[in-house]
Amino acid sequence: MTKHLLLSGAFGLGLMASALPAAAQSCEIPVGSVLSITGSMAAIGKAIGDAGQLAVDQFNEAGGVAGCNVKYILRDDQGSPNVGVDAAKTLVEIEKAPVILGAIQSGVTMPILTSVSVPGKVVQISCCSSAPTFTQLARDGGTGGYWFRTLPTDRPQGVVMANIAKTKGYKKIAVIHVNSDYGVSLARSFKAAFEKVGGTVSSVTPYNQEQASYRAEVNAAMQGDPDSLFLIAFPADGATALREWISFGGSQNLLLSNSLRADEFVKSVGAQYLTKAEGIDNAQTEGPSVDAFNKAWAAKFGSAPNGPGLHTMYDAAAVALLAMEKAGKPDGTAIRDNIRAITTGDGEVIFPGPDGFKKAKELIKAGKPIRYEGATGPISFDQFGDVTGPYLIWGVGNDGKLTVVDKWDKTRVADAIAEIDK
Amino acid sequence: MSGYLAYLVFFLIVALTYSIVVMGLNLQWGYTGLFNAGVVGFFAIGAYGTAILTGPDRPELIGGFALPFPAGVVGGMILAALAALLVGLATLRLREEYLAISTFGIAISIQLIGLNFDALTGGAQGLTGIPRPLFSTFGTPGAYNLFYLCLVGTITAIVFAALQVALQSPWGRLLKAIREDETAAASLGKNPALVRLQAFVLGSTLMGLAGGLYVGFIGYVSPLDFLPLLTFQIWAMLIVGGSGNNRGAIVGAVGVWALWTMSGFAISRLLPVHYQSQGGAIQVIIIGLLIVLTLLFRPRGLIGEAQSVSRHAR
Repeated sequence: MTKHLLLSGAFGLGLMASALPAAAQSCEIPVGSVLSITGSMAAIGKAIGDAGQLAVDQFNEAGGVAGCNVKYILRDDQGSPNVGVDAAKTLVEIEKAPVILGAIQSGVTMPILTSVSVPGKVVQISCCSSAPTFTQLARDGGTGGYWFRTLPTDRPQGVVMANIAKTKGYKKIAVIHVNSDYGVSLARSFKAAFEKVGGTVSSVTPYNQEQASYRAEVNAAMQGDPDSLFLIAFPADGATALREWISFGGSQNLLLSNSLRADEFVKSVGAQYLTKAEGIDNAQTEGPSVDAFNKAWAAKFGSAPNGPGLHTMYDAAAVALLAMEKAGKPDGTAIRDNIRAITTGDGEVIFPGPDGFKKAKELIKAGKPIRYEGATGPISFDQFGDVTGPYLIWGVGNDGKLTVVDKWDKTRVADAIAEIDK
Repeated sequence: MSGYLAYLVFFLIVALTYSIVVMGLNLQWGYTGLFNAGVVGFFAIGAYGTAILTGPDRPELIGGFALPFPAGVVGGMILAALAALLVGLATLRLREEYLAISTFGIAISIQLIGLNFDALTGGAQGLTGIPRPLFSTFGTPGAYNLFYLCLVGTITAIVFAALQVALQSPWGRLLKAIREDETAAASLGKNPALVRLQAFVLGSTLMGLAGGLYVGFIGYVSPLDFLPLLTFQIWAMLIVGGSGNNRGAIVGAVGVWALWTMSGFAISRLLPVHYQSQGGAIQVIIIGLLIVLTLLFRPRGLIGEAQSVSRHAR
């Protein structure tokens, strides 16, 4: 019996021993990544891992970071927080990675952040976790500034809509929203922003999806005599609710969420009621820096980079490595302090790709400022580590066609957010 | 602290927390023969209970009572015990597979309540900013983790010692008697239903205790922490370690959790960089393979149940 125990013990030791030589190479900087390669997110996890690998490979081609080669260490979280946290802990303590990229699901990302990254003073950049709780934690001071993400949250949308409501002169607005993750957080961030710019939210009313009528919800929203309505809904339910709102004599001063930008919504409400309405939507990121990534991806993997998280993961890795180069050493705190230095300011613009990174290295060496424009376009982090995206404002013409009324690029969005945070 | 040591401390905190859950399951399955397939549900109640009782007050949440950590953990245990009492009264008349199916369903229901009862549990976004006990007293995370390991280790030792005493008492022998032959135990004037309920509630309370310790260490809780997979992991720990033996339960918890985590580490070291995205699949295969091999060579687990009539008779 003991023999078996000994055998399995010896097997375990053998595994460990044969693992050791890999660590003994000279001057390698580890960059850790925790993603769902198996488990419920496996379908998208592998490609996201490849996007991180692409950025690291391009850096190594450009001559590495801080004088060393970069070693990309990808660990699987199996879609479970306990496995993900453990993987992150080995990356930080044993591999000595100063940066962790990931994870995908917020429920995995958050415990890694609170129990590994922040106490270990390691920068964590997520490609894919959009939960507003991270912003909340950062506001409470729980992230120590070590948290960043390259995926826009709902918050900028709320801020932009609050600005539009203010410019339009709305004083007292009612909010009706779909009772989901998305609806709740957008309503919350809109309310906070609108109150900050001096408006009043008369009521916030959630509704459950796929009901025949929303009379009760509409009635509740009408209390307090609002002069306008912000409707956060999906097209079919949104049309039902809005028809009832209008037939009860509700104001036609309407703000609409991104999910309502659909012809079927306009048709079933009636275009004549929507001429004063304005809505928001994510604008497509475009530009030469985005093309540079798309081309590099196609050249390496033979397909277009279609899939969630690829562009944002690439940028997460690139931002981390550029900040490390700027800091000159693989140290979490130094990287944290340099991330904004390489994404804001009037420095020379750096695009994705080995040539871009080579140029960045030369400029940094010469002590000149750089500004990274990545696979998601120009990128800048606010004080809570969140990024913004470009947005468009849409309206409805007299003929019932959807039109684009206005465009908010990232700088304008960032300015609006800075104004709110002041 | 050097890297490996710091990691080892971290690893042991999690593994010993699980060992408390495994001892709870061992009381239910190993000694009393109750097939609880809803382990994660009671773990979740303890975790959420502690998080709600100790968490900071937030305007959008019902909870956030900011109680001291020990009160939170005890509160979580009481909640887990009450839940187990309700579940036990409703289901313990069921036998083996029926009990398994109903407890499995209950665990999933509990997870879904966590996901949907936003005002209490924070819904899918979970509860953040749960204070870690005495965190500010310790300067470095390494020192803090060492403290927490001592805390968890002490609690594990107390649970182990208390269970050993209880299981060697007449009550402990009664559990085994009911497991082996319920009719025979009843014919001796014992009340099997009551004793089964006691074992079920006590085991589930231990799971709740572990949930509270887990939350105190991680500082965050979300429904993703309580997927049915965790129940499977706990069962694997008990079966590999040796059901019917608390030493086996602890060895199984540490051993299986080491296998689960170190296999990923070993793979990331051994695989060439460009095959890393295949590593996850290999890891899952290795975990399964090693568990199967253990059971082939040691069908009663690493440390199985000692065969005895009574410790007084040879």
